[in-house]
Amino acid sequence: MRPARLLAALAVAAAAAAGLASPAGAERLVTALSHDNVSISSNFTGTEVVVFGTIERDAQTVARSGAYDVVVTVAGPLRTLVTRRKERTVGIWINADSEVIERLPVFLAVHSTRPLTEIASDILRARLSLGLDMLPINAEPGPEPPVRTDFEEAFLRLMQQERRYVQVEDGVEFLGADLFRATVRLPANVSVGTYTAKVQLFRGGALLSTTEETLDIGKVGFEAHVSEFARDWSLLYGLVTVIIAVVTGWLAGVIFRRD
Amino acid sequence: MELYLPIAELPMNVFILLGMGAAVGFLSGMFGVGGGFLLTPLLIFSGISPAVAVATVSSQIVASSASGSLAYLRKKAIDLKLAGFLLVSGMAGSAGGVWVYTLLRLTGQLDVVIALCYVTFLGTVGALMLSEALRAIAAQRRGQPLPVRRPGQHGWAQRLPLKVRFRRSRLYISAIPVVVLGVAIGFLGALLGVGGGFIMVPALIYLLKVPTTIVIGTTLLQTLGTMAFATVMQATTNQTVDIVLGLCLMIGGVIGAQFGARVGQRLRGETLRALLGLLVLSVGLRFAVDLVLEPQELYSVTTPAGGGMR
Repeated sequence: MRPARLLAALAVAAAAAAGLASPAGAERLVTALSHDNVSISSNFTGTEVVVFGTIERDAQTVARSGAYDVVVTVAGPLRTLVTRRKERTVGIWINADSEVIERLPVFLAVHSTRPLTEIASDILRARLSLGLDMLPINAEPGPEPPVRTDFEEAFLRLMQQERRYVQVEDGVEFLGADLFRATVRLPANVSVGTYTAKVQLFRGGALLSTTEETLDIGKVGFEAHVSEFARDWSLLYGLVTVIIAVVTGWLAGVIFRRD
Repeated sequence: MELYLPIAELPMNVFILLGMGAAVGFLSGMFGVGGGFLLTPLLIFSGISPAVAVATVSSQIVASSASGSLAYLRKKAIDLKLAGFLLVSGMAGSAGGVWVYTLLRLTGQLDVVIALCYVTFLGTVGALMLSEALRAIAAQRRGQPLPVRRPGQHGWAQRLPLKVRFRRSRLYISAIPVVVLGVAIGFLGALLGVGGGFIMVPALIYLLKVPTTIVIGTTLLQTLGTMAFATVMQATTNQTVDIVLGLCLMIGGVIGAQFGARVGQRLRGETLRALLGLLVLSVGLRFAVDLVLEPQELYSVTTPAGGGMR
């Protein structure tokens, strides 16, 4: 276990021990992330963020039967995207119909202790937009599971193929009776922006408690300077690129000159 | 060694990038072409978005053509006036190309247009080069002298108005075909991420009848100019030029080109042209196959601007 994660785990444990005030008769979630921000530098090849949590009970908590279930949902920056379908036109395959997918996260990871269908009913999951199959696409969350168009089905399939959308049904691990952990893998091509990590606690098919943490992913150092330069000083950036190219070509000519 | 590319926003192995640059550089040095038509598809195939690939390859072409232009400038084998005419018209074409590129991205038809252009141009040029080279080889085998095509002085280009004298090329021709050629090459260069040498060289030799000794240097100089302009245009309008990716490709490319040039000098002209024709033709066929066969995945997801998700 890396020091950062150990610290986060200790922080959670300490918060739990402090026994912060909680509504009577309810379980309370205390959660923390292994990092609050992820820095993308020149050696970035993806990373892991660990979500830690503990379930806090007091004396008044009613004894409930059945084990606790935890669902951890990490969602990335919202973007509007387009799904297109190719059709054969005069012998060649070209993009024909399309559907605009309004403001959905470009990264979505759902980790849970058990298959989601065993944790909560479809009605509750639809209302909470819990799980990839309940993600509302171009719709509002409601009591009915969403009805998908072909484009939306394809969108979900492609996002999962690119590992941008993942659902891990044994991704949350209980380390003790009350302490749990979920390791969320962020791929190398992760988008920069603000992410949220939502932790939901279930028991016997009912939602008991929810917490939300935020995670910032950004470029640092050289990578950040280059992208800022390219964005804010685009003309100068273009000219500098051309000068570097000419100098590289000229140097090669000088080094390898034979005449 | 993985290196995170700041604009492409993904990590790539530096040695793979250097190797790719070197392999394409080797071929371009051997055949005397820019190699953009090989490098751009190669980058797209390795997961870099077409937008970044096309824009960054233009900066790589600047490096490879700078190296060659300087060598030809020293030998004074460049018609500066002709290069200037081609360059100015090339810039106009380039601006048009970047504009059409942005428009096609918005409508989701960029990939198919790029593929169709590759099929048309690479297919035609490749087939012509290959058949010409094979005929030359066959004629030589039979021991017959080749029918030498002399640069004629009375082509159709002679009959057009607005004549200009190009002293270095010993030409007195209309400016119209020169400008049209420049605009067309600039347009294609910006749209496809290619220098256009594979079209420019035969066009200068066969259409404008420019002496062969002047053609390569002049083409290199105009490629340098148009691609430098395209790099700046892409940087300002689409912000898709990745300087780190570009530098890796440039270093690999200029080194590969030196070795390619040495191998190229040992091969016979016809063999070289036959091999290049075959290479150009097979890249064109590869694109044709993709267009005609039913793709495994009919759907695709992009941003509304047609780029990759960031």
